Amino acid sequence: MTEYTMTFRRYIKYTIFMLSFFVLGYGVTSYKSIFLGLTFGTLFSLYNLWSMYSKIERLGQAITTKQKVKTMGSLSRLLMGGLAVLIAMRYPHLFNLLSVVIGLMTIYIIMLIDSLSQTIRISKEKR
Amino acid sequence: MNLIAAAIAIGLAALGAGIGNGLIVGRTVEGIARQPELKSTLQTTMFIGVALVEALPIIGVVIAFIVLNK
Repeated sequence: MTEYTMTFRRYIKYTIFMLSFFVLGYGVTSYKSIFLGLTFGTLFSLYNLWSMYSKIERLGQAITTKQKVKTMGSLSRLLMGGLAVLIAMRYPHLFNLLSVVIGLMTIYIIMLIDSLSQTIRISKEKR
Repeated sequence: MNLIAAAIAIGLAALGAGIGNGLIVGRTVEGIARQPELKSTLQTTMFIGVALVEALPIIGVVIAFIVLNK
């Protein structure tokens, strides 16, 4: 397994952990709309993560085999964010809008924290 | 007025993301073409870079949709 696939699987693991935490919050606490919004946003965020992974994987293979790759770029991911917000605004009694937006940002927060911790760990190992 | 606000939000977000992604992808393609054995490492760096670049445009699109539906 390559380093790239391992990194992707680590992110998936953390995201699913967060997702289970949100589902638990939805089931246990009385803040139903907030946790449902977070869960909903995180699901879209998970799709964005997978989409990004598969596109970069295809790009890497295309470079080594010297072929062309056709994708929609980041448009599909941007539109998924828009779709999540549209659904949240259509059903305001189910989803809290702010928590949907925070849910959409889950993978980016996870990536930021993970890459920072990896950088700190590597710099400590070098000493 | 809402339409103009949404257009500016999406337009500027897409402009920034386009420049950022272009720089990242361009350098990664150059790196992989020079050293194919470092493909996985470069892809990981590109993955994190693209994700962090795309976070703000997604927020921009979200704000634009919220403004449009107000």
